[in-house]
Amino acid sequence: MKNPNRKRKIISYLVITFSALIMLTPFVAAALNSLKSYTQYTAIPVEWIPNPFKWENYIEVWRMTDFAQYGWNSLVVTVLSVLGALFSCSMVAYAFARLEFPFKNSLFVMVLGTLMIPPVVMIIPQFIIFKNMGFLDTLVPLWILEWLAQPFGVFLMRQAFLSIPKSYEEAAKLDGCSPFQTYWRIFLPMCKPQLATLTIFTFMTKWNEIMAPVIYLSSEEKFTLPIGVLSMSGAWFGKEQYLVAAALMTLIPILIVFLFTEKFFVRGASSSGLK
Amino acid sequence: MSDNLKPKNEFPDQQGGNKQKKSRLTLAKQKKPKPPKKKWLTNEGKWGLFMISPYLIQFIVFIAFTLIASLYFSFSRYDMLNAPQWIGLDNYDKLINDPVFWKSLWNTIYFTVLFVPTQTILALILATALNQSLKGLKLYRMAHFIPVISSWTVVLYVADAIFNPRFGLANDLLLKLGMEPQQWLNDENLVIPVLVAVAVWKGIGYMMIIFLAGLQNVPEDLYEAADIEGAGVLQKFRHVTVPLISGTTFLVLVLSTITTFQAFEQIYVMTGNSGDITAAGGPNNASMVLMLYLFQQGFAFLKMGYASAIAWVLFLILFAITLVQVKLQNKWVHYEK
Repeated sequence: MKNPNRKRKIISYLVITFSALIMLTPFVAAALNSLKSYTQYTAIPVEWIPNPFKWENYIEVWRMTDFAQYGWNSLVVTVLSVLGALFSCSMVAYAFARLEFPFKNSLFVMVLGTLMIPPVVMIIPQFIIFKNMGFLDTLVPLWILEWLAQPFGVFLMRQAFLSIPKSYEEAAKLDGCSPFQTYWRIFLPMCKPQLATLTIFTFMTKWNEIMAPVIYLSSEEKFTLPIGVLSMSGAWFGKEQYLVAAALMTLIPILIVFLFTEKFFVRGASSSGLK
Repeated sequence: MSDNLKPKNEFPDQQGGNKQKKSRLTLAKQKKPKPPKKKWLTNEGKWGLFMISPYLIQFIVFIAFTLIASLYFSFSRYDMLNAPQWIGLDNYDKLINDPVFWKSLWNTIYFTVLFVPTQTILALILATALNQSLKGLKLYRMAHFIPVISSWTVVLYVADAIFNPRFGLANDLLLKLGMEPQQWLNDENLVIPVLVAVAVWKGIGYMMIIFLAGLQNVPEDLYEAADIEGAGVLQKFRHVTVPLISGTTFLVLVLSTITTFQAFEQIYVMTGNSGDITAAGGPNNASMVLMLYLFQQGFAFLKMGYASAIAWVLFLILFAITLVQVKLQNKWVHYEK
């Protein structure tokens, strides 16, 4: 009984250790590249260890580019998106989970249906709507849709609200709370894990997003980090080590958020396969 | 009688003084006819509609309207400077005779066919290995998540450390093994396999977690039963694990096919030149996929009508694929009762 289990464990360790090495090697190689001088970066045969370690590459990025501006833009988009998603998804989800109103069921079927329409078919008209509203080359199109209850978040929050006993609602009603107050003061604070999940997922998507910034932004001072760093490379021939440093720096905020909220990320990810 | 009154006394403000004298029964009677029948919109109904209004706005403006507009554009010539001009099926006709469209369709299918099974199988193997009480589980999971949380821009520069044709790790290794160095992303035959390898590397951690959730629903006694019958690791994987999580596998397959078919960011970032959309899809259109072609036509060349036609063709193909996958699931997906 003991032997097969042990064998299984050894094989498992080998498999995941090997796979973890494959996952991390490129990052280690890139991090080493970011600390080299250009001559060493392009040296053939390849020199893997920087000599000397040029930590100043990271400072140079801030000095030589609009990196701070890109970072600020990314932060604005991400924070406004997260706030929007938390507020709109939870409010809509509360109504679907807890209130009775006309056409509720058919409207909810519509939410389900929305998930199945590929975004491709809506991109061009959406672009035209934002153009007519005068939002081209502003950050607005990058976060405003998150204030309009995207279906994934609505589902997530609805499940959470459904699991809360009815008595809370009745007690609030007797205390004279309106449905909105009941949602805001009583139900919302009870759903912190789901709110955390929604925060991480929205943060990750928006921080890393490329498609929408490519479509909507044209002037450089509006660029978010992913396309800002990407756009540097044209003018930066011969300074690739700085680009690698810049790219790795954009990873740090999301890595920090992830480290603190790993369990919610795992929970959210696994629930997306169960639906 | 006094027992009946007790609960109401807890909320004296709510009920008002004289109501306290009535029994519960009469209170219920008074309230009942009020809400559903007489008024079409109750107070709660008003609140409900108000609270879902963000979704309603999204649905009306950004979904219903855009779908209709997009369909209309696909039958029009539209450059965004002049009003759309109805041209019937011309866009679709042009599409059928457009060699780049066929090439990008082929590349899209090629990418999906390589990517989806590779990632699914590898993720399943990893999840099986992780589905035990191993030490350092969290660290292993974390290692697989770092690519997941990286943007494609980060991946571009990280992958460059490996696949740079001049000083990348991959060519260094090939040289040391006495083999020819490769051009990787600059090679027409290698570009899609390399992109797929990178995509698997980036996405596998996520899929692994989805599978892990599925695996944790497999009852442990089935493995014990297999142990008693003397089944080996591989046999157990084949005869217990695979059939029991086929529901999860099915979902993973459908979802990743849908997403992969619409892949844009990776190919735009990894084959474009510093964000120039007209440069992406190379070399020689060998990595041009439908989404990228749509973007070039629409946003670089302002052929919004033509781009909309591509979008609808993409939609219809996706719909057909999903339909086939759903029909096929009866053949291999095992549902426990």
